[in-house]
Amino acid sequence: MRKYREIIRIYLKAQLAWRADALFNMLFVLAKIMFAYLLWGIIYDNRSEVAGFTFQGMLSYYLLSAFLSQIEMSKCISEEMTARIRNGTFSKYMVVPVNVQGYFMAMEMGKILFYIGFDVIAVLIWKCLFRIQFTFTKSIMVALCAVIIILLGMIFMAQLNYYLGILTLKYQEIGTFLMIKNNLAALVTGSLVPLALFPDAVLKIMKFLPFYYVVYLPSMLLSGKCEGEAVSGIVTLIIWCVIMEAVLSITWKCYSKKYEGVGI
Amino acid sequence: MKQLRRNMRVVKELIRLRFQNLMMFRLGFFGPFFVDGSLFCIQILVFQAVYANVERIGSWEKGEMMLYIGTFSLLNAVNMMIYFFGVNAIPYKIKSGDMDLYLTKPISPLLRLSLEQVNPGSVPLIIMSILIITYGVQTAGIRISPGKLVWYLFWLVIMQVLYYEMEVIIRAISFYITSATSFVQLEEAALGLCMQLPGIAFYGIYKVIFYVILPYGIMATIPVQSIAGEMTAKTAVFGIGIVCIFSAITYLIWINGKKHYNSASS
Repeated sequence: MRKYREIIRIYLKAQLAWRADALFNMLFVLAKIMFAYLLWGIIYDNRSEVAGFTFQGMLSYYLLSAFLSQIEMSKCISEEMTARIRNGTFSKYMVVPVNVQGYFMAMEMGKILFYIGFDVIAVLIWKCLFRIQFTFTKSIMVALCAVIIILLGMIFMAQLNYYLGILTLKYQEIGTFLMIKNNLAALVTGSLVPLALFPDAVLKIMKFLPFYYVVYLPSMLLSGKCEGEAVSGIVTLIIWCVIMEAVLSITWKCYSKKYEGVGI
Repeated sequence: MKQLRRNMRVVKELIRLRFQNLMMFRLGFFGPFFVDGSLFCIQILVFQAVYANVERIGSWEKGEMMLYIGTFSLLNAVNMMIYFFGVNAIPYKIKSGDMDLYLTKPISPLLRLSLEQVNPGSVPLIIMSILIITYGVQTAGIRISPGKLVWYLFWLVIMQVLYYEMEVIIRAISFYITSATSFVQLEEAALGLCMQLPGIAFYGIYKVIFYVILPYGIMATIPVQSIAGEMTAKTAVFGIGIVCIFSAITYLIWINGKKHYNSASS
């Protein structure tokens, strides 16, 4: 564990060199909240409720989902892996005496720990600026379940991005695919609009997929909705994480031998 | 006239060279199409979901919104096909000192920079955008007359010019400061917001920001208003005025920027 703590510490420190990024991270939170404020402001002009959300409820959802999608930084894993494999410097991760997957997860953790404070500040600033009356769940159990789901969701996304990174060993260039994945992830995790706006049939299918539990469900739970889904959310995500871990182990065994350490 | 003919010859040669280059790296040929295509498809899905729950956003129904997404997608596709990759490289060329090669050649450096990396891989995105626009027109029940079409195309062309100017201004800031990365990130955030949100949603200070300071809010909104018959004379004058002002700003920033260029890499 000490090795991974050290990796977390190094990446936490390394972020200090990129302080402007923290500022822009806050700006992206603003862009999301401003989008919600303007779009839903004009919609709620002549109605009081849409898909079970009041205007303030909708803004609370966006505030939470913007925060969660900003701290979900696992895409840096696949980006780092694909860049390193392509230029032949991935060897450095293979020779250090740590588990490669563990290394990347610790790397993500270091980055999250640095940004999380800024994101909390950003959320509080925009909450005051846009005068959002935040609706928060009153049940401590539900809040606790939401935190567990957030952590499991982040582990799943890290596994997914690690898996995509491994695919570079076989397919060499997956940059385009990663960008498409980022676009799709924003939709299916509920970062763009609450998934409750989609038809029931779509929602039922989504509940079987892990993405439903990454941003959407924790945001809903924390804002006091969908409380009945808290436990099933935890169970579903644990199952997905176990499946993903098995897939990762098989894929790594198959593809790690393909790495030549030369780059293209 | 002689200058124009010479420029056209150079442009032709640049495009020929670019095609040769693309044949060497075929892998990423359709990359921009897939990435931006997925982005706009997701945009459509988002608004389909919103319109499944509400009838209108402001004065716009689903048809106008599809028209808006298609128009923005078309502006973006032309941008990606013709000049984005060239203009995007300006900060790097300034930073590395590579701009020397452009300033010493007997052709406008901006013309060469803008057209040396055309990307035909975005052509399918143009076709897709036209299909979205057609769907939007049908859904909105708009009857297209030749006059309306010409008016719409006119606005598309001048908004494309505005798009280009915004990109050049933001990247030419590199002449004055060490890194323009923050400005590019600001552009990304503003563009992302305006891609999702039509100009009719802005009011007050937001309108000032996205209509006047960073006019991404009018780029697709004005052409849609022109074809939907919602455009007033005031809006038309405002649109043309903004494009003229930004043309002047682009010219001044580029000309003065070149004077700040010290040829040393940093």
